[in-house]
Amino acid sequence: MPSPETERQWQALLADDEESRASAPSSLKARLYSALIRSQQETGPLASLEVSVAGGHGVCVFEKLVQIVPVADEAKTPFFCTTCHARILAEHFDNPPIFWAHCPYVQFKA
Amino acid sequence: MWRLCATKLMSALDNSRQITVETQPAMEISSDTLPLNDERRLVEEVLSKDRKATAEFVALCTDFVYSFVRKRLVPRVELVEDLMQEILLAGWQSLPKFRGDASLRSWILAIARHKIDDYYRRRLRETDITTEEGEPSAEPAIEPLLDRHLDAAAEHDRVERTLALLPETYTLALIWRYRDEKSVREMAQLSGKTEKAMERLLARARENFRKEWTHAQS
Repeated sequence: MPSPETERQWQALLADDEESRASAPSSLKARLYSALIRSQQETGPLASLEVSVAGGHGVCVFEKLVQIVPVADEAKTPFFCTTCHARILAEHFDNPPIFWAHCPYVQFKA
Repeated sequence: MWRLCATKLMSALDNSRQITVETQPAMEISSDTLPLNDERRLVEEVLSKDRKATAEFVALCTDFVYSFVRKRLVPRVELVEDLMQEILLAGWQSLPKFRGDASLRSWILAIARHKIDDYYRRRLRETDITTEEGEPSAEPAIEPLLDRHLDAAAEHDRVERTLALLPETYTLALIWRYRDEKSVREMAQLSGKTEKAMERLLARARENFRKEWTHAQS
């Protein structure tokens, strides 16, 4: 057993360094977001885009198109990003060349 | 109906053209913490499965969880993503219990700590720690090993590099004991080993760390 003083020195040497915080890669954030949404979908439909807009969130141009399509509200709850090129790029590249306003995957870029 | 739809579509595209020239998205999230009311609002929206709020939640939590987890999974950094997914999912599932007494950051980090403990416990349980007869010899202090010329950041980098060179079990034992400040008794109980075995493991881990540290210095 090391002495208490040596134990203290080990603690000081191996202590967590709050200063050196690394940011998560944007592709990791994108994959985590997709995975979390998939888990949410497993327990029932997502909130509709109207709910998001009412809550003060913006929607991207593709989501706007979905909003104005004349179909029932239930048809507007799926996670449309699964079919979007922005998601694919964001999950595979850090800081991908995507620039759509209000796209969640753009939000993850550094 | 379709004419109306087409009109709305043109209007949406017009708006999007205006929006896309913005240099920043409307909701810029860079800080780890939000004011309490905003955190409560965010939690409610995530629980209602609002996809935009969920994106905000992920953006808010990922950086500090990533940093916390990565430093504790060295050298097995390939496991970071799976564990982070578990943490965020567990965080979302337990959000109904979030009362806002502590910040969302503390709440999620507590979940991360539990998940890390689970991982350490599993890995150390799987490890066969042979115990030799006799008392371990007295250990030298580590102070003389330290390079006084290194600043704190450089020393921290060197610590992380040295930890990454050790066998995983040694790294886990050192981090659990000294970074997460678990007592030897707790570590022994959680991993199903005797205290003696855990002390042996720690002694070997410290010895290996010293060797790698000195080797890198020379």
